[in-house]
Amino acid sequence: MKKTARNIYLALILILMYAPIVTLMILSFNASKSRSKWGGFTLQWYSSLFRDDAIMSALYNTLVIAFLSAILATLIGTCASIGINSMKSRWRTVFMGVTNIPILNSDIVTGISLMLLFIACRFTLGFSTILMAHITFNIPYVILSVMPKLKQTNKSTYEAARDLGAGPFQAFMKVVFPDILPGVLSGFLMAFTMSLDDFIITHFTKGPGVDTLSTKIYSEVRKGIRPEMYALSTLLFLSVMVIMILVNSAPKEPDKKLSLELENEKKKLPLRQVIPAALVILVAGAGFLFHLGSKGSVSDEKLIVYNWGEYLDPEVIDIFEEETGITVTYEEYETNEIMYPKIMSKAIAYDVVCPSDYMIQRMRENDLLAKINWDNVPNIKNIDPTYMEQSRSFDPENEYSVPYCVGTVGILYNKTMVKEKVDSWDILWDEKYRDSILMQDSVRDAFAVALKRRGYSLNSVVVDELIQATDDLIAQKPLVQAYVVDQVRDKMIGNEAALGVIYSGEALYTQRENPNLEYVIPKEGTNVWIDSWVIPSNAQNKENAEKFINFLCRPDIALMNFEYITYATPNKAARDLIEDDSIRNSRVLFPEAEDLKGSETFQFLGDEADSYYNELWNKVKSK
Amino acid sequence: MNHTLVDLIDISKGFGDQIVLDKLNLSIRENEFLTLLGPSGCGKTTTLRILGGFETPDFGQVIFDGEDITNLPPNKRNLNTVFQKYALFSHMNIEENIAFGLKIAGKSNAYIKDKIKYALKLVNLEGFENRLPDSLSGGQQQRVAIARAIVNEPRLLLLDEPLGALDLKLRQDMQYELIRLKNELGITFIYVTHDQEEALTMSDTIVVMNQGYIQQMGSPEDIYNEPQNAFVADFIGESNIIEGTMLEDRLVKILGAKFPCVDEGFGRNRPVDVVIRPEDVDLVKPEEGTIQGVVSHLIFKGVHYEMEVQANGFEWLVHSTDMFPVGQKVGIHVDPFDIQIMHKPVSEDEEAIGVNE
Repeated sequence: MKKTARNIYLALILILMYAPIVTLMILSFNASKSRSKWGGFTLQWYSSLFRDDAIMSALYNTLVIAFLSAILATLIGTCASIGINSMKSRWRTVFMGVTNIPILNSDIVTGISLMLLFIACRFTLGFSTILMAHITFNIPYVILSVMPKLKQTNKSTYEAARDLGAGPFQAFMKVVFPDILPGVLSGFLMAFTMSLDDFIITHFTKGPGVDTLSTKIYSEVRKGIRPEMYALSTLLFLSVMVIMILVNSAPKEPDKKLSLELENEKKKLPLRQVIPAALVILVAGAGFLFHLGSKGSVSDEKLIVYNWGEYLDPEVIDIFEEETGITVTYEEYETNEIMYPKIMSKAIAYDVVCPSDYMIQRMRENDLLAKINWDNVPNIKNIDPTYMEQSRSFDPENEYSVPYCVGTVGILYNKTMVKEKVDSWDILWDEKYRDSILMQDSVRDAFAVALKRRGYSLNSVVVDELIQATDDLIAQKPLVQAYVVDQVRDKMIGNEAALGVIYSGEALYTQRENPNLEYVIPKEGTNVWIDSWVIPSNAQNKENAEKFINFLCRPDIALMNFEYITYATPNKAARDLIEDDSIRNSRVLFPEAEDLKGSETFQFLGDEADSYYNELWNKVKSK
Repeated sequence: MNHTLVDLIDISKGFGDQIVLDKLNLSIRENEFLTLLGPSGCGKTTTLRILGGFETPDFGQVIFDGEDITNLPPNKRNLNTVFQKYALFSHMNIEENIAFGLKIAGKSNAYIKDKIKYALKLVNLEGFENRLPDSLSGGQQQRVAIARAIVNEPRLLLLDEPLGALDLKLRQDMQYELIRLKNELGITFIYVTHDQEEALTMSDTIVVMNQGYIQQMGSPEDIYNEPQNAFVADFIGESNIIEGTMLEDRLVKILGAKFPCVDEGFGRNRPVDVVIRPEDVDLVKPEEGTIQGVVSHLIFKGVHYEMEVQANGFEWLVHSTDMFPVGQKVGIHVDPFDIQIMHKPVSEDEEAIGVNE
């Protein structure tokens, strides 16, 4: 009885710990891109993973940074430990405390302070700053794992070696080092994995064009994480597991009974640390060789692009570099709010950025944008005038921005669950669909629905209107199954909800996965969003930026990007090139003017209004 | 032949505020088995570490075979140390441990092989070449440590309480082993211990130390039979130390009674300390004794009985093969040559200062 209970308890713990990993591993073999539908077994993500240059180069960066920072941190940390160990005990305590603080310090503080330091020292953020940051935060871990070994080491063995004729360095290497080697190796492995894991510190200290796996994965949040990443994560997990098995399977200490048998094996010791460390070196080395083979040529003409994650066909950049001889450095961000401070700090002079409508207005009002010289962008003629007109709400004179991707927000519904005609936001307040409604978990998107339903502007700053919208949202809350971001897509595909508020760009994909889904723009009007290319005022290569924007407006290139991103393109000439009629004529992607009647584009409302919105939203969420 | 190998001249050493050695002078002759004996903190280990080169004296000189080696690092000194806790290299097998010094000295492989074989034979560990230190018993490890030191053919071997971690039986075996080794190798041993029995058994010369000063230096017999102050008498073996008055040459008054003795030159009516070893106290019939007392305690110790006798306000410790039951009245008699007279220190400080010179 007791034993059964114990086993059940153990099983529960194991399930809790490993269920997430197992889910990820299973999904990495799922032929369907959706997370809620099994599309059959496939290895395609594994094969496309190794063909994806962006992922492989992020992997390479991750491994090289992890390896180099671990090596250097191990070196510095081991020397530091030796120094600390030979201090008097009072100072030793002080120094151990000082070195432990960074471990307890939150990553975000470390990350921001490192970034500020690097900027203050006029370092260019990039590979070297990430490396320095990683060395910095890894050193305490090395010290932490070397110190106990040093303390255990019998001081007289060092003296014995000196006594037998060894010089100080020789004595250390021959006698002390082998004793602390297990600690040094585990410090190295710990530093390696800490570096591999780190996102926050890397995020703050990285520069354009350098990505590690964690920042790369995070930059994909907006468009949904690609299954290749599941495959990669599975491989990483398995490698770590193999290392752990090797570390633990070798015998612990050569105890007295075993030592006779061990004597022959002794030369191969210490198996349990050397092999994993060797594996780590091998992997990093392989990554390095891989990267050497893929390095392109470098030219003087440069361009630094800052774009949403997964928001440009990588091949387009290759073509651009080939045609113009300009070397492109490409960096990605996850949200407008993460991009904005980076531009504002001017730590990096980006040449071309792709923010959303309201953010363009905010950047313009803060003098962060340069006017585009239209003589250099003749292809602007390909852009649908409708969207040039829409852009005026955030760029009144059409001076700063070139529309890149556009879309609407609408209702996605499941035809098998909703039999009536869906044409109004009102349906989201219908009792019939209690617990089957999905709302967007973001303040402006949620309020836009409530305001539009009442016929108000979604940029409203009228207090009465906002309070009414707040009350409506609170009244709606019992009906809402969940406030989510990108799970709308998966939940709708998996038939988990009847109605959901979704971006039109996602609608096409969900319909393909689940034909029962239908997308409508409610008759009250909605949010038309536009992501446009702009040039920051501190751009160093403005003409190249204009060349790049012009290049992206070329119909064939715009088509490539459309097919890659699958969000609607405002490029009329590109749309005409789409071969599939159902897509070219899709009113979901390319709504007619009448569909957009009463629709608006988000504007930046000012800091005060912003915080008022947030206050009301918190009221809704906490009810 | 027995010329001086090591001279310590005016060695002083302090750690922080604490003075560990104060103007210590010591000569060690070639081929001597010299033991530094004293309680912990007496400075004996510091003296050894200064000899080994692990500490530098604050003042003074270390002369080795006529050469000043005060500031020479350990690896440049022609001596080797056997450490208290063996300090074997746990990741090397026995062979590699022993070969360590020879390899650094750049000896040929054939020479090293011969030496290992010889050394292991010397310490009775043939066939242990490939074992790891952790698989050996304490006594075996200690013998490896000795072998590792002596293969380098040092002129001087320093041993820092090498038997301290061993049990009693093994310790006694190792004592004989060390004497044998010393005789076979013909090198000088400096041995540090706090165990007076070890010191008495093995040494040619014993240096008794306390609070950084040498208290007495001499052969084991000298030290035991003629301790020069109360500290030495108390530290070496068991003693009755009694305050007395030297009435005149060869006559001392203890506890109100006059005892004839053999000491001269203390002057008249001088206060002295009198040392009488417990085995030198003869218990006789009350009327035959110099003073009378009553047995208050009795323990059987195997080779003898240990008794305590209350006499004239002093508790006498007595070792005797004859048994006197508790409560029995006895007389106490001491032969004149068994009475050891010592100067009485004026202050506590003086008690620690050596008076041997």
